[in-house]
Amino acid sequence: MVAFEPKVVCFSCNFGWGFLCDKDDLSKSIKYWIPEICSGKIDSRHIFQAFRAGADGVLILGCPEGHCHYQDGNYQTMKKVYLMQKVMKAFGIEPERLSMNMSRDPEGKNIPSLIQEMKERLIKLGPIKKM
Amino acid sequence: MWKTISSGSAGVEPAVRQLLPPCQIRCPINEDIQRTNVLISLLPEDPELATEGVIQIGDYLYEKNPFFPVCGYVCGLCELECNYLAKGGAIKRRLLKRFIADTYIYHLDKKDELSIVKSKENVAVVGGGPAGLMAAYDLSKRGYRVTIFEASDRLGGALWLIPRYRLPEKMLSSTLENMVRLVGVDVKYNTKIGMGKLNLERLRNEGYQAVFIAVGTPAPRTLTFERKEVNGQELSGVMYGETFLYEVSHGNIKPNYFRGKKVLVIGGGNVAFDVARTARRLGGDTSLLCLECEDRTSIDRIPADWDEIRGAWEEGIKIIYSRGVSQITGTGGKMRKIECPKCISVYDPAFNPKFDLTDVITLEGDILIITVGQQPDILSLEKEDLLNERGQPAIDQLTLQSLKKEWVFIGGGVRRIGFMADAMKDGLTAAESIERYLNGLNIRDGRKRDFESQDRPRRRFYETEPEVLWIPPEKRMHFQLFERGFTLPEAIEEARRCLNCGPCISCKACLSIGIQEIIAPVEVNTDRCSGCGICVSICYYGAAQLKEIEDKLISITDTFKCKSCGMCVVACPSNARKLVDDSLEKRTEAVYAALQG
Repeated sequence: MVAFEPKVVCFSCNFGWGFLCDKDDLSKSIKYWIPEICSGKIDSRHIFQAFRAGADGVLILGCPEGHCHYQDGNYQTMKKVYLMQKVMKAFGIEPERLSMNMSRDPEGKNIPSLIQEMKERLIKLGPIKKM
Repeated sequence: MWKTISSGSAGVEPAVRQLLPPCQIRCPINEDIQRTNVLISLLPEDPELATEGVIQIGDYLYEKNPFFPVCGYVCGLCELECNYLAKGGAIKRRLLKRFIADTYIYHLDKKDELSIVKSKENVAVVGGGPAGLMAAYDLSKRGYRVTIFEASDRLGGALWLIPRYRLPEKMLSSTLENMVRLVGVDVKYNTKIGMGKLNLERLRNEGYQAVFIAVGTPAPRTLTFERKEVNGQELSGVMYGETFLYEVSHGNIKPNYFRGKKVLVIGGGNVAFDVARTARRLGGDTSLLCLECEDRTSIDRIPADWDEIRGAWEEGIKIIYSRGVSQITGTGGKMRKIECPKCISVYDPAFNPKFDLTDVITLEGDILIITVGQQPDILSLEKEDLLNERGQPAIDQLTLQSLKKEWVFIGGGVRRIGFMADAMKDGLTAAESIERYLNGLNIRDGRKRDFESQDRPRRRFYETEPEVLWIPPEKRMHFQLFERGFTLPEAIEEARRCLNCGPCISCKACLSIGIQEIIAPVEVNTDRCSGCGICVSICYYGAAQLKEIEDKLISITDTFKCKSCGMCVVACPSNARKLVDDSLEKRTEAVYAALQG
């Protein structure tokens, strides 16, 4: 049997994450990475599409609470993640497959390890159920 | 580490509809406060890397405001209007700027002269204070050959009166030297226009096509009571605040000069506090007496900044509110005491103090320092016939052009006494006017700018301002700086507190460092929009609004207020809103294609 390698789509906010790094460099070690200006721009549609396209998990990296360049974009996304986890649960998808981290990492050095941690959690869950 | 770009799409555009954050409106020269705050908030934590960023930010600030290293110590006008003021304290912009300046000043000393082709006319600037220097700097950058005629032996004018414990000498002297060095301004010291044969006509004959007069307010105002000069001002021991500060700044007054003396300072403005705190540092047992009252909500409130009052109080200066001076008496030609009637009102609404003459106290003292304001150097203007019938400079207030001689421009404190930044603004205004005048362009067109303020955005979390550390009073009785500046982590933290409430067009920090590609406009599909108003409730900036168009309620976007955050796009239940040419959709599609592939 081939070892299960989970696919993780990572959205990150440019004001909190990796604004000092060379994006091209860092993206070599992050496979499905979508840096965006604010985590608040991420629509539930984007998240569901990721799962539909075959992602086993979605990780959203937003700014720490109270520190959004656009006032409360990260807070709106936090709410959205909470609600979506409920919806996912109702559909029989493990809510842990959607995760949000509200912190700050200017050089983006921690992004690969955060994805790795997520992958380890997903390995325990196994591949996402196709519906 | 990022590299800032300031040209092309990343360059700040002049405000259309003049929408700006309130701090930038309050700043007389409309400094790009928000942009530089954002850039500070995005500095690396590594000090060495951060220095690179600090110099880039400094270079950017310097372009528009070569006085910024001084402003970072003495000016905090922007903080008075900060949208954060009522929600935890204004952003400490002055200290943020000081943080940049403290590193930048050494870079400035090493900076190469700008390569400017000086092929344009000769312009004379009379007076080397903030207004004159700013005009000289701006005109030189535009290619004019500028000569400053300075009456004293150094540039800077009234800036030298700022005590060293607030503004270190290094910051001031480097700022002044570099301003004339970098753009190649010629300075003639000890040259007073109106003295000897040197007058404006002669300057004109010598080939100066335009003259900017910024001679400031070198004359101290004398003490009056009920519109009459108070007797006794000629007594020994009586002096004027500006003269005193001038002597101190020139090192003519020795440490402990006032030890064992009782010093009385008259005046309630910031300069009076500078005088009192300086006298205290020279060992004097100091009291400050002012007409105004302590109640800061009253129209008659003391005009000095709260920080000055607090500082003085901590340092053991006695503040006596609501008292005037009706008489100075002395013995043997030396001042001994003053009579101080109770002041019952100061403004009505013009300055017109009223006193209760039944309530008079007598104060004894050895030294009396009168600091009740300065007077413009009107005499030199009068000689040149540049005054109007009311004895004020006859100028067009918009362009600063003299109404008597079209090649003469008058500004700075001599026009209207104000803050340092007000004088700087006059310098810039005069520079623009002079360029237009010399090129035969319309001097008034498009000059009047009324700015509209951006409101405080809606937000859930606010943080309180950081505490600014002062050296304890007992340890600050010297002329070293008493206020501690921000460390790098503190500066980043404080800059992150900024609400960034201004419009993107006058900031563009994100574009300049490449963390955003475009500021995409929001488009509303009117067929899909049901006018539900969810976008209005989510928009933090009041940009999404409802409007009735042809009997249908639909949402629109005020493009000036919109920050393209995409919050309304995400919130719209009928998918009626989108960000035009935004790259998020493309990027997600590419990633999803890779997932499937």
